[in-house]
Amino acid sequence: MIEFNHVYKNYDKNYILRDLNFTVNKGEFIFITGPSGAGKTTTLKMLIAMEKPTHGAVKFMGTELNDIKKSEIPFLRRKIGFVFQDFKLLPKRTVFQNVALGLEVSGVFGDVITKNVSELLKAVELYTKKDEYPLSLSGGEQQRVAIARALVQNPQVLLADEPTGNLDEETSKIIINIIKSFNNKGTTVMLATHDKHLIADTGRARVIDITKA
Amino acid sequence: MLFFLLCYANIYNYMNIFQKNNVMIVFLKSGARKKNRQNIMNFINKINGIKKIKYYGNKSSMKFLSKRLKNLKSVLKKINPKVMPSFIKIYFKKSAVSSIFLSNIYLRLTSIKGIKLVYYNKMLEAKIRQFMFFTKVIGLILFLFLLILSIFISYSAIKLIILRKQNEIEILRLIGATDGYIRIPMFIEGEIGTVLAFLVSISLLYSIYKIFIFYGFDSFLNFFHIKIIFLNAMQIGVVFLIALISGIAGTYLSSRKFF
Repeated sequence: MIEFNHVYKNYDKNYILRDLNFTVNKGEFIFITGPSGAGKTTTLKMLIAMEKPTHGAVKFMGTELNDIKKSEIPFLRRKIGFVFQDFKLLPKRTVFQNVALGLEVSGVFGDVITKNVSELLKAVELYTKKDEYPLSLSGGEQQRVAIARALVQNPQVLLADEPTGNLDEETSKIIINIIKSFNNKGTTVMLATHDKHLIADTGRARVIDITKA
Repeated sequence: MLFFLLCYANIYNYMNIFQKNNVMIVFLKSGARKKNRQNIMNFINKINGIKKIKYYGNKSSMKFLSKRLKNLKSVLKKINPKVMPSFIKIYFKKSAVSSIFLSNIYLRLTSIKGIKLVYYNKMLEAKIRQFMFFTKVIGLILFLFLLILSIFISYSAIKLIILRKQNEIEILRLIGATDGYIRIPMFIEGEIGTVLAFLVSISLLYSIYKIFIFYGFDSFLNFFHIKIIFLNAMQIGVVFLIALISGIAGTYLSSRKFF
């Protein structure tokens, strides 16, 4: 499903990634680990065409992302949900509207939005707070909204960049359990983290340490 | 732009009226017979576009002169009216007057026997035409300048909106929004801004125009045969269209930088 073949990334003379090679199969749960600045975020960003490798090839479902046209990027991103460490929610939109945004950009409107968003908000246990604004929620709740938004388009892959980075241990477990539950339903997950406890607690998951790249 | 167009329309209108107020004077040869004179008048009467003609004999010429030169009455009294020229004054219909039309008539009349001189203000006409050409050129330059200015204004306004919404735009792009999805609301916002700005400007300008009329400033200008007019529906429509186009252009240019 995802292939990184001899991927290099450098900014001027500073190499972030050196000869990164790995593949991810459908339904897998992958941890991308490494210290800060190792290139975890860059690796994930390459999958949504926010970054391009300096050398090598990144493939998603057989499509080489190095050559992807600018006009095709939005359609690629609809197949990949992205959860950010800083949530990236719109403060002037309610929880419901933030999640619905994921469908609206795909041209889905009306009852389908109501049904899908409500289901997802129930799954992340935030349905009762659907009319509240993000800034009135805790960090863990905001991250659950971000997960719901990332999953509302029913993506094939969920990418999470340090999703528990700003959260306490207890909340982190809740977030990881939610992500795991979606992985159990068939969504491929790639989660970037430097938290070794989190990896140890997760159980059956493959770890790709990019410091070795 | 509206104010500029109003000024331009008024200057153009004034010059047009001035140009169309044309009168031609045909001086007859001294000693021209009555029959010959009548033939000339009949010929003139047959020309299309003539409003009326008036004949001035020697005595009428003297009267005409005395009326205009009241201070020189004593001098004029000593002049024998027989030395005064007899002439025909031709008034043209405003709708028929054009420089080609007058030139044609001028040439036809000068070729007739019994006519000494045909006078119409060719010099003035040329000056007016020069002035009108000048106003057209200046108007075009000013129009282009104002068009660029209005595009720049909408460009800056939309750029500010984009900068304010940069975070939102970034999020929308990350979750798969196309450029069109992000840009269309900006175009709508830009166009609403343009329409509102246009409505405010036209209302303000019309109010100023009405105040101008209410306080009778126009009657002062009437003294100089200047009639102040307001923009007609077509002119307003053109400016509205230009405003819409500049709004779209400004939005396109400012959003292009970010996409």
